[in-house]
Amino acid sequence: MQSTESIYQTREKTNLLKSIFNDARHIQIIYLSLFLIYGVSSLSWDITVEKIVVVVGSTLLTQLLWIGITGAKLSSLKSALITSLGLCLILQSGSLLTLGLAGFLAISAKFLLRVKGKHLFNPANFGIIASIVLFQDAWISPGQWGSDTLFLLCLTLMGCIVLHKIGRLETTVVFLGSLFLMEYLRTIVYQGWEMDVLWHKFSSGTLLLFAFFMITDPMTIPNSKKARMIWALILAGATFLLSTRMQIYTAPIWVIFFITPITVLLDKVLPGVKFEWNKSTN
Amino acid sequence: MKKKIILSTFVVGFIGLNVLAFCGFYVAKADTKLFNKSSQIILVRDGNKTTVTMSNDFDGDVKDFAMVVPVPTILQREDIRVSEAALFNKLDDYSGPRLVEYYDQNPCEIRVQEYMDMSVDMAMPTSINMESVKVKRNKELGVTVEATYDVEEYDILILSAKKSAGLKTWLTENGYKIPHSAEEVLEPYIKDNLKFFVVKVDLEKLDEMSGVGNVRKYIDDPSMNSARTLRPLQITYESPKFMLPIRLGMANSNGDQDMIVYAFSKEGRVECTNYRTTKIPTNKNVPLFVRDKFGKFYVDLFDKAHSRENKEAIFLEYAWNVSPQMSGVKCDPCVGPPPIFADFQKAGVNWAINSNNQASGQVFFTRLHVRYSRETHPQDLLFHVTPNKEHFQARYILTNPAQGDLSCDEGQLYCAQLVKNRANELDNLHDLTSWNTSQYKGYVQEYYKKIKDKSIMNKVEQDRGQVVPGFDSDYIDPNKGLKIGILSSVVVLMLLMFFRLRLNSIKRKVA
Repeated sequence: MQSTESIYQTREKTNLLKSIFNDARHIQIIYLSLFLIYGVSSLSWDITVEKIVVVVGSTLLTQLLWIGITGAKLSSLKSALITSLGLCLILQSGSLLTLGLAGFLAISAKFLLRVKGKHLFNPANFGIIASIVLFQDAWISPGQWGSDTLFLLCLTLMGCIVLHKIGRLETTVVFLGSLFLMEYLRTIVYQGWEMDVLWHKFSSGTLLLFAFFMITDPMTIPNSKKARMIWALILAGATFLLSTRMQIYTAPIWVIFFITPITVLLDKVLPGVKFEWNKSTN
Repeated sequence: MKKKIILSTFVVGFIGLNVLAFCGFYVAKADTKLFNKSSQIILVRDGNKTTVTMSNDFDGDVKDFAMVVPVPTILQREDIRVSEAALFNKLDDYSGPRLVEYYDQNPCEIRVQEYMDMSVDMAMPTSINMESVKVKRNKELGVTVEATYDVEEYDILILSAKKSAGLKTWLTENGYKIPHSAEEVLEPYIKDNLKFFVVKVDLEKLDEMSGVGNVRKYIDDPSMNSARTLRPLQITYESPKFMLPIRLGMANSNGDQDMIVYAFSKEGRVECTNYRTTKIPTNKNVPLFVRDKFGKFYVDLFDKAHSRENKEAIFLEYAWNVSPQMSGVKCDPCVGPPPIFADFQKAGVNWAINSNNQASGQVFFTRLHVRYSRETHPQDLLFHVTPNKEHFQARYILTNPAQGDLSCDEGQLYCAQLVKNRANELDNLHDLTSWNTSQYKGYVQEYYKKIKDKSIMNKVEQDRGQVVPGFDSDYIDPNKGLKIGILSSVVVLMLLMFFRLRLNSIKRKVA
């Protein structure tokens, strides 16, 4: 009798674990939360509990409001949580109002700016750009992650797992690969710097976070694999030009915002099946 | 006669600790012993315009002094000025790590309170002889002398080069010997289209200016020629590049080099983009005896903080809004007078005052402390200006105990509290500096002995009485209206969509 009960309990546990790991969003939430804990505890970031509550609160509340208006699925709250964590990890501001608005605008843009049932901008990206441009009191600190090797390895590994799960690994591989090649040709072959200069450029937590957790948002990048590879190549080229010619060290975040028309165009020229979170879970 | 080029970088005299640092290199005779200390730089950033003032940290003879700094553009005569060393002293005094001292009131007597401030004295510190330029030879070497200027006591050349080998040969032929290690970094700078700002001292002019020319006929004292008296040079250029080329100066140095960067911007704090900028531990209560060892205390504190950050991070030591029109305090406590109009002008902050001599723009000041080496900092330092206006100081708190008879009940509780606070101060000291605090048992025991009934130790709570004050901030959100406007317009859009969807569904039902 007892053994049947324990077998039943174990099965239930396995099913729970399965259902957690089946949805890539769950894994993403766990990872991003871990990064945030690491930033606050080990890197003594300025972000306070108050700020985190404001960002997460405003993002989830906005999503709830929009669910009420449009009748979207309640499970989309998971995506909103990912957006809020992304904002906490990248965006900085001394003003709680700005941070709250970043979350509010990020989610609202998702519902207001749509083409063929697909939202145009990555919500976190939109929130970041909007608050930097409009309010002038928000910024990104690209150096805030330091270059601790162990952390960067964890970030890469975790990123690969999520991307493998949602089938978008090629986008990051093409992006990072081509950016590395371009930087290699410029920094090492042309300018003649030592290899550790190049490694230092790439051991940036901000760059890896962009590459693994932002540019790969399946909802806002092209649907077909071929289109995504071309898209990643354009993204890498533009990032390279902006950072080397105009000294913009947060280049990928700007490029991903302004690349939107190309995304729409690529979706038209090379159509593919639109990504659905639920599909990937089943 | 050949001169040996000694590479150093921005160098800062750091509380008696000799460390070196600069984005150029210094020239000295082969046998001249160089004392590398630490460098100090003033960076002023306004849009794409950067003004850099470099302190002189070369400790040899004036005639051996030479400096090579990579710059992004060919500088014009008006882009080069001579500044005053006193400016560095002033900024250092104003923004250095500080001790603040509080006096406890005797709970058994009338209350009197005073406070006193102390600051760490940071030692302060910051020239070429060009032979006739042979145009033909220059062409062969791929070196172009873009411009030559006489700026007060300095002779300045702006060079551009096609190949590092050519530049190296040019320097060698013109009397300078470059260490082998410098060549490898010259090439990347040339390829990055940087020009070379080459400086030496015009000895005759210097004598003329200082009026020691005729004295020298009668007194032959080499210490009169110390380069330490040379004034800092200031350059201005327009370029999106907001960086400090530390690699050139690193080439010849062994170990860590220190550099203090005093940065001015309109918007807010300046921070490093390719290395982590973090705050130096601050606002800690420390034992009273730290007063006499504050220099060593801060050196050890910095060492520990730097090691904990894998020797990579850049430390924020001070950040404050120093705008002339700002009504709030500009430091808390002030250990030196805050910079005023004249200082802004000398540093190259030209937006602080308008043509009518009135305060016009916001000025935000940041002090960064960089300790770097070849191993930990392969890339040059890249900076950006952020809108972060949060104030910050490196401040450590001393608490003087109450004086007089403490035998009353309140006094006994005070003693018990003090014992706990002092134990905390020693723990803080150990955490900050790794000093062995077991030798300071007497510091805690002093007041324990005054407690008659030791059981009251359990009656007082931890940390009561040790207040750590925050930093005053005067930030007022200028975009509050805009934010509320955007918020309300999106809410209106939300409502519109809500009603449209409702209307549609009603229509559908009716149909």
